[in-house]
Amino acid sequence: MIHKITRKEDINPDDYLIEVVAPQVAERFQPGHFAVLITVPNGERIPMSIQKAEDGKITMFIKRLGKTSRELDTFKVGDLLESVIGPMGNPPEIKKYGNVVFASDLVCGHAENYSMCKELREIDGNHVISMQTFPSSKDVYPEEELCRDVCDEYYLTTLDGSRGIKGHYREILKDMLDKGKVDMIFAGGDIPGLRELAKLTKPYHIPTIVTVRQIMVDATGMCGSCRVFVDGEMKLTCIDGPMFDAHKLNFEDIISRLAMFKEKEAMAMEHYKKGVE
Amino acid sequence: MAKINKVRIPMREQSCEKRIKNFDSVPLGYSEEEAMAEAKRCIQCKDPICEKNCPVRMKIKAMIREIAKGNFKNAFFIAKEDNPIPAIAGRVCPQEDQCEGACIMGKTGDAINIGKLGAFIADWAMKNGVTEEFHIKEKDKKVAVIGSGPAGISCAVDLRKFGYQVTLFEALHIAGGVLQYGIPAFRLPKDIVDYELSYLKKIGVDVKLNNIVGQNIKFSELRNEFDGIFLGTGAGAPRFLNIEGEKLKGLYSANEFLIRVNLMKAYKFPEYDTPIVCGDRVGVIGAGNVAMDSARCAIRLGAKEVYILYRRTKEYSPARDEEIQHAIEEGVIFKELVNPVRFIGNEDGWVTGVELVKMKLGEPDKSGRPRPMKIEGTEFILELDTIVNALGTKPNRLFLDKTPELETASWGGIKVDENLMTNIKGVTAGGDAISGGATVILALGEGRQAAASIHKYLSNSNENG
Ligand SMILES: Cc1cc2nc3c(=O)[nH]c(=O)nc-3n(C[C@H](O)[C@H](O)[C@H](O)COP(=O)(O)OP(=O)(O)OC[C@H]3O[C@@H](n4cnc5c(N)ncnc54)[C@H](O)[C@@H]3O)c2cc1C
Ligand SMILES: Cc1cc2nc3c(=O)[nH]c(=O)nc-3n(C[C@H](O)[C@H](O)[C@H](O)COP(=O)(O)OP(=O)(O)OC[C@H]3O[C@@H](n4cnc5c(N)ncnc54)[C@H](O)[C@@H]3O)c2cc1C
Ligand code: SF4
Ligand code: SF4
Ligand code: FES
Repeated sequence: MIHKITRKEDINPDDYLIEVVAPQVAERFQPGHFAVLITVPNGERIPMSIQKAEDGKITMFIKRLGKTSRELDTFKVGDLLESVIGPMGNPPEIKKYGNVVFASDLVCGHAENYSMCKELREIDGNHVISMQTFPSSKDVYPEEELCRDVCDEYYLTTLDGSRGIKGHYREILKDMLDKGKVDMIFAGGDIPGLRELAKLTKPYHIPTIVTVRQIMVDATGMCGSCRVFVDGEMKLTCIDGPMFDAHKLNFEDIISRLAMFKEKEAMAMEHYKKGVE
Repeated sequence: MAKINKVRIPMREQSCEKRIKNFDSVPLGYSEEEAMAEAKRCIQCKDPICEKNCPVRMKIKAMIREIAKGNFKNAFFIAKEDNPIPAIAGRVCPQEDQCEGACIMGKTGDAINIGKLGAFIADWAMKNGVTEEFHIKEKDKKVAVIGSGPAGISCAVDLRKFGYQVTLFEALHIAGGVLQYGIPAFRLPKDIVDYELSYLKKIGVDVKLNNIVGQNIKFSELRNEFDGIFLGTGAGAPRFLNIEGEKLKGLYSANEFLIRVNLMKAYKFPEYDTPIVCGDRVGVIGAGNVAMDSARCAIRLGAKEVYILYRRTKEYSPARDEEIQHAIEEGVIFKELVNPVRFIGNEDGWVTGVELVKMKLGEPDKSGRPRPMKIEGTEFILELDTIVNALGTKPNRLFLDKTPELETASWGGIKVDENLMTNIKGVTAGGDAISGGATVILALGEGRQAAASIHKYLSNSNENG
């Protein structure tokens, strides 16, 4: 399979968008699925949320973080990825939830926000509310990549108030919860932020499903690297998730395990920089 | 008649000091002269009991006879008749329990080194570009083989030889199953696995990587598209102990540890991108081949002390003799009669040790080995910074969860009849997927048996087929 890049754009100073040919993934995609990329022959297998799947192509938002994401940023339209595998994961049911929120404050969350809202809105009886938070106006994605057009009610916030409403989506959500307006919450993004969200929504007893990022190797349930604990029970993010009940997740463990390879990741980055220079 | 030589022609090996710093093959292989000399030790028994103890009934006697005469090409063809991957089996079979364990020469001296002779002859053919020649009479029926481990490989080869159009689906980005991701290169060099896989393509098997049946391609689609199916999906999901501390950083399943090291080549990090963190003091729980492989990888990753933590004693270890011996030579320390109670970590969430309880051996259990029993009040702590859990594997539920129509056995594996047919007509299964974890050669034998079964099924379903 030839995985050619057909579109690549900066969407804010940290994140870029990449569209790549992957017919098998695109054809079978459901919101909540992710893809596994191998960008170069000696590369690692990295999971990436999918924003859109159309015409045999998938679109992803990627944050420049470590070696792989930065190296991929040097790829241009027309370049090929080694492998694009998927769709992976066990997506949540798309059904009637009533007043349903999708909230996001980070790259991968924004991708899922888009795909989930778009599908949820197709279901009669759903009122889809999308919320997106960015640090500042310069970080806000281009209008056409925001979720404004795929939902019924839209909120854009920036932490410094330079665009949209000032603050985090949690504040708007709290308001809505107080007014009893919400039946179901989905969210994705910063993990400590999702822990805060879980704390916020729990007293209201509103079901809250969040996307977990955990370090993956195979993403097929073979290794256990992506294990998380739901009500004390071990689950695998790759095949049981990546979306789980936020009220049952042990976030401390997730955050701790995400840091397991920090030193090595820094080494990989150093090694890569040296090679580029 | 020449005097019988009771002593094996020794296998040259990389020295211990050298090999613990690399992932290259430990045995260096026989030269032609050495192989012939070893083959000449075989007394060519009238009733070669070695063959009866080979799960695929290799014609060992004839192969050895030809090696002794220097007719390597003939020897290779003979080996290939029953075993499509002699280079691999020769390196990883538990020969002491199989062919060599039965060899008559072993009664009064050293058994013939049948495994290494098999590997020699296959390596010789690879080096000299000798391959089997056969004519495929094409049939228009299509068979799907799922999983590219030894079971899938052997099934695909035989089905192709019968003339079927064979598509092999593999979940990972590299084919080979355990041969690729589990067994390290110092035991099974990857160029050998690659060679066998390139042979598959050469005979016309369509190998589709990154295809996870049940996940990104539906089983029902395959059932519609193909006339027969073989399930060689292995038993690749890790088992955890469900004890305190399994969330800790620095604690791996053997699968994760070995996949990072072997499949993703973390031992070449940062030339390869996938990292591994391996500390100075490593504890490996279990004592089978998987545990030995993990321990020997840890040594090569630079660990200073590597422990095998086993609830029985060494002599009951299910690992191959050669592996145990190599592990000990390389400095792996056996801590016998201990069982983990919980894993201990620090406030940063890193593992710092394991609490173990001492065990004693009781009456034999179902496996015939003495049952290990806890000695109450003997708990103690062993400080470690990396722990690898090598307590066996189970079938991957990714596939089974999505195929409720497929009947499974009570232990979770796929259920088959004596012809390796599942409850679904035309769908066969073999290898670890039906046994839960056996050997390369048993998986291979079942792959072949399933191919024959599919052939029979398809021949009957259409008289002109
Ligand atoms: C289901 C899922 C969906 C994801 N979707 C997106 C997305 O849409 N956009 C995006 O930018 N990122 C996404 N990620 C995270 C992405 O996989 C990592 O950012 C990427 O692997 C980092 O690689 P790197 O070499 O650039 O950085 P590294 O230097 O390797 O890692 C930087 C940090 O990223 C995290 N990380 C590293 N490897 C992984 C991994 N295999 N899985 C998860 N986290 C990892 C760790 O916390 C690490 O400290 C997703 C992760 C998961 C599990
Ligand atoms: C570390 C280790 C060391 C071992 N050492 C030895 C040894 O020295 N000697 C010995 O005889 N045996 C050894 N074994 C056991 C032996 O390797 C196995 O018994 C044998 O590989 C089983 O073969 P298989 O073909 O059934 O499955 P596997 O080799 O497990 O192959 C199964 C394949 O199916 C693929 N797959 C799974 N699900 C799907 C799906 N849904 N869609 C597509 N593909 C899928 C997997 O990715 C995998 O590639 C060892 C095992 C391990 C793990
Ligand atoms: S296949 Fe295995 S058991 Fe059979 S002869 Fe070869 S090494 Fe021995
Ligand atoms: S049993 Fe031993 S000596 Fe006899 S034929 Fe087999 S390998 Fe040769
Ligand atoms: S990534 Fe290996 S089990 Fe999930």
